[in-house]
Amino acid sequence: MSTVSGNESAAAFPGAAGRAFGRRFWDFAGWSICGLAFVLLGGAMLWIMAMVLLRGFHALTIEVLTHVTEGYAGGLLNAIEGTLILGVGGILLALPPGLAAGIYMAEFDNGRLAPTIRFLADVLVGVPSIVIGYFGYVTMVVAFGWKFSVAAGSIALAIISLPYICRTTEMAIRQVPRSLREAAYALGASEGQVATGVYLPVALPGVLTGVLLALAISVGETAPLLYTAGWSNYLWTGHLTNEPVGYLTYAIWAFITEPFAGAHALAYAAALLVTVFVLIISILSRLFVK
Amino acid sequence: MLRPGRMIRGMEETPAAPGPEHKEADPHAFNPKVTRFRVRGLNAYYGAKQVLFDVQMDIGAGEITAMIGPSGCGKSTFLRNLNRINETVSGARTEGEILLDDQNIMRMDVSALRRRVGMVFQRPNPFPKSIFDNVAYGLRINGYKKNLSESVEHSLRRAALWEEVKDQLHKSATALSGGQQQRLCIARALAVDPEVLLLDEPCSALDPVTTAKIEELLVQLKQTCTIVIVTHNMQQAARVSDFTAFLLEGRLIEYQATPKLFTNPADPRTEAYITGRFG
Repeated sequence: MSTVSGNESAAAFPGAAGRAFGRRFWDFAGWSICGLAFVLLGGAMLWIMAMVLLRGFHALTIEVLTHVTEGYAGGLLNAIEGTLILGVGGILLALPPGLAAGIYMAEFDNGRLAPTIRFLADVLVGVPSIVIGYFGYVTMVVAFGWKFSVAAGSIALAIISLPYICRTTEMAIRQVPRSLREAAYALGASEGQVATGVYLPVALPGVLTGVLLALAISVGETAPLLYTAGWSNYLWTGHLTNEPVGYLTYAIWAFITEPFAGAHALAYAAALLVTVFVLIISILSRLFVK
Repeated sequence: MLRPGRMIRGMEETPAAPGPEHKEADPHAFNPKVTRFRVRGLNAYYGAKQVLFDVQMDIGAGEITAMIGPSGCGKSTFLRNLNRINETVSGARTEGEILLDDQNIMRMDVSALRRRVGMVFQRPNPFPKSIFDNVAYGLRINGYKKNLSESVEHSLRRAALWEEVKDQLHKSATALSGGQQQRLCIARALAVDPEVLLLDEPCSALDPVTTAKIEELLVQLKQTCTIVIVTHNMQQAARVSDFTAFLLEGRLIEYQATPKLFTNPADPRTEAYITGRFG
């Protein structure tokens, strides 16, 4: 077997040196652009985190965590409580329809209804949250006469959470191998029995991840709550209507523009608390992913 | 090693897999057929594509009926129509009549039908639960009122798995070997006491030794259960079944007693297939 010598084969491809230089140049350029993008994004994120942490840390005293807001000073206990109530309330309201729609889209994808629901869910994700707040204001706060309330705020958050729960449930159920479902059907199980006995247990981690994602988004929402929950300096007294509640994102929005250092401190503390909540939620959702 | 008397034209017995005794063409071995399934004019479609063309067949009670044919000929589709599991596939459509003991299965309650006609799939598919819960699943969902443990033990014995797992009923089913999992799936299907057991290439993912065990199992089971088995392995069909149906491109070409089909097929296409001229 003859081996072609390096020189002979190279002669068939003139200009190799120039091309090699070009390759190295574009390689370097490409990596540089990637590096620059990383630095910009990473830097921006670090800057935001640093600002929130440093300023918020100073402002987060025990008083902030145990007292309610008094004007532009005091604490954030009412806001923390309100955020939790509205967030959890929104999830509880969105869970049944979200789960049901997700299961339906995954299991009964036979006609036109499932693709329609999917499309509507995707549209709903794109609706600006302030529009949902406006809708909540016009219908619940004014027309129903609920005024600023936990009910209106929870429902607004539920509308925002619904498409996320819906889609992640559908994805999680689609991951369950078809063979398991067939095995259950072949034993005479009805659709409900297959749903609860076979694929919900297997899809549960995925569903929970979706729920936690929706919760993280709810915790950070401002605009819809401005028009449905209002603001209150007091702890919630248990009324679902006709009683506004506080929430952390209001404190961020309202207090940062005030000319009082105390108000700024509360705003930074609220920002830190929201960030911490989202962080805890993210860690929890990682624990569920096997 | 060739075993005399088992030489069938064009095929040799695989030495590594001894099978249960092959029935010679003894008229007394076959009772006059009590027909379990009567299939008339079966046409099946996946979307616009037709996969079964006017299939007509009678499946006898207490017998093992094998369905053979090249890939894509529609044998699995036919089987899946017998317990209506094809309805879970979107786009699947069936026309024609299938009667189980003279009742049209399309008009029966589908859960009741599937309790009477069980199915074992190609790849073992145990639930990610314990061995006990796997076998008990069918019993629980069908509202079984009596002793669950006894019934689970009985099914595992029928599937020849009891001795191997009796001390570990609470172990996860997914920890079993492939052959054990498939026998578990058979036990699970048997737990609800079906009249018919459908098996879709149950041994294709298994080794020869386990295959032999399962074939022995099927021969014992046919005393209490009608069995329809789809298989790619012609030797298996010859070893195990009483009747064999040969399908080609969605049409039933030949259907008769196994010894006759393999030694003296009526249709030239059948002969071409069983002698390996095409696969």
